[in-house]
Amino acid sequence: MNVLEAQGISVAYGDTRVLWEISFSVKKGQLVALLGANGAGKTTTLKAICGLVRPFAGTVRYSGQVITGRPVHRVAEMGITLVPEGRQLFPKMTVEENLVAGSYLKRAKGRRKENLERAYAVFPRLAERRTQVAETLSGGEQQMVAIGRALMQAPDLIMFDEPSLGLSPLLVEEVFRVVRSLHAQGLTIFLVEQNVRQTMKLADYCYVMENGRITQEGSGRDLESDPKVREAYLGF
Amino acid sequence: MELLPQALVDGIMLGAIYIIIAIGFSLVYGVMHVIDFAVGEWIMLGGFAGFYLNEWTHVEPMLLLPAVFAVFAVVGYLFQPLIHRVLSGHRGNPLLMGLVFTFGLSLMFRGLAQTFFGFYSHSVPSRFSNGSFFLQEGGFSMTVSSVRLAGLLYALLITGILHYLLKHTDFGLGVRALAQNRDAAGLMGVNNKRTSAYVYGIYVGISAMTGVLIGMILSLSAKMGPDYTIFAFFVVVLAGMGYLAGVPAAAFLLGIIQSFFLIYLDPGYTLLAVFAILYTILLVSPRGLFGKGV
Repeated sequence: MNVLEAQGISVAYGDTRVLWEISFSVKKGQLVALLGANGAGKTTTLKAICGLVRPFAGTVRYSGQVITGRPVHRVAEMGITLVPEGRQLFPKMTVEENLVAGSYLKRAKGRRKENLERAYAVFPRLAERRTQVAETLSGGEQQMVAIGRALMQAPDLIMFDEPSLGLSPLLVEEVFRVVRSLHAQGLTIFLVEQNVRQTMKLADYCYVMENGRITQEGSGRDLESDPKVREAYLGF
Repeated sequence: MELLPQALVDGIMLGAIYIIIAIGFSLVYGVMHVIDFAVGEWIMLGGFAGFYLNEWTHVEPMLLLPAVFAVFAVVGYLFQPLIHRVLSGHRGNPLLMGLVFTFGLSLMFRGLAQTFFGFYSHSVPSRFSNGSFFLQEGGFSMTVSSVRLAGLLYALLITGILHYLLKHTDFGLGVRALAQNRDAAGLMGVNNKRTSAYVYGIYVGISAMTGVLIGMILSLSAKMGPDYTIFAFFVVVLAGMGYLAGVPAAAFLLGIIQSFFLIYLDPGYTLLAVFAILYTILLVSPRGLFGKGV
């Protein structure tokens, strides 16, 4: 069953068109990846799903309901969360306050304590820094807070926008480990990445974007052997 | 020299009231990104509401404060969507739109007030107005007026409540989240429109309630608004835009400047001094006294 389904979404910022009739679908429990170069429209696609950007055409369905045009907090209430590009933490709050902010939603409030413990179990590093102000953390730690905060929402669908961007190879490995384990726990994941090689290995299904259009799709294995994809993204 | 402690104590008690005004003003700026030029007019309208309520009911104005708060909080809550519309329309530069819109509001409120309330100054008669304590210690002596002391206690109470609300409730968490990162707050499920309307309601309610207090301590007039707008602006800018922890120091400084001019110099020059100090400090430290503003 399709949890998330986008049909022909088109977005423009002022006079600049950035998305041309994007369609894709994510099934329950799947890890679907959206790949593409800088400026291909990946971030805008995510923003259009969660209501931060309003498409001028097309529909996004979540569990059968049309969610296009809903304000962002209403989409969040439905169980969709985004780990945004550049972390987007609350800079003056402590680590713990940032995490607790993740459980602002009614659906997550009841399990605040339990989810907090779980977030600290996934990232023991954050437990050590729970009273530290977020803006003073390193990039990797901030990414952990961003992921932890999203998990605090007890989401049904979690979307990542380039979670490995700007991290050291060791931390990239850590992020992918977490994504993999969330997938193994049955969470539905929509992953946007530039780290094409690693993502293809992980994903159940991939879409490739170029200049605001989806140009290719298929399983990671199919795309990996596709000469065009190999040339453009894998460099051999 | 004998008057020095008097000037300081008076200034601190006056400054406490400015803390309240500035915190509301600061919150609205943080959450809605609006510099509300009508803050002085909300204070003025609240003051007159207290004045007339007291005239009709003869209830001690201190006890009227919660009623004034409640009425104006509702007014602010209902009013906020209008400001939101002005800001979120497809016009460029929302900060400027907010300034122009609230400036227009302040002119309108002031004009209406002058039509309906007249040009005379009033004061809100309170049981506390005449009482005072006389303290003497060595060569120093001072008079502490009970109404000013009540104002100080009121300011502490409101600051305490706001602090609790912001730091220890989910509503406050949402407010802080919105102020620090609007998009991320939305992703967490914070309803921007509703939370902003609550914040604006609280701010208008507090400003109006403080107006009654100012009417008890100093005086009310239909044209008092701009002075208080400038005071609010002074405190917030001096504290550092958006840096709430800096507000008390800046507010006390303003209160002390005012009481010094009242006691030692000509009160007519207070605003001149306020601006001179504001310019000087901003010249030296553009991000406020503590360098922690935006």
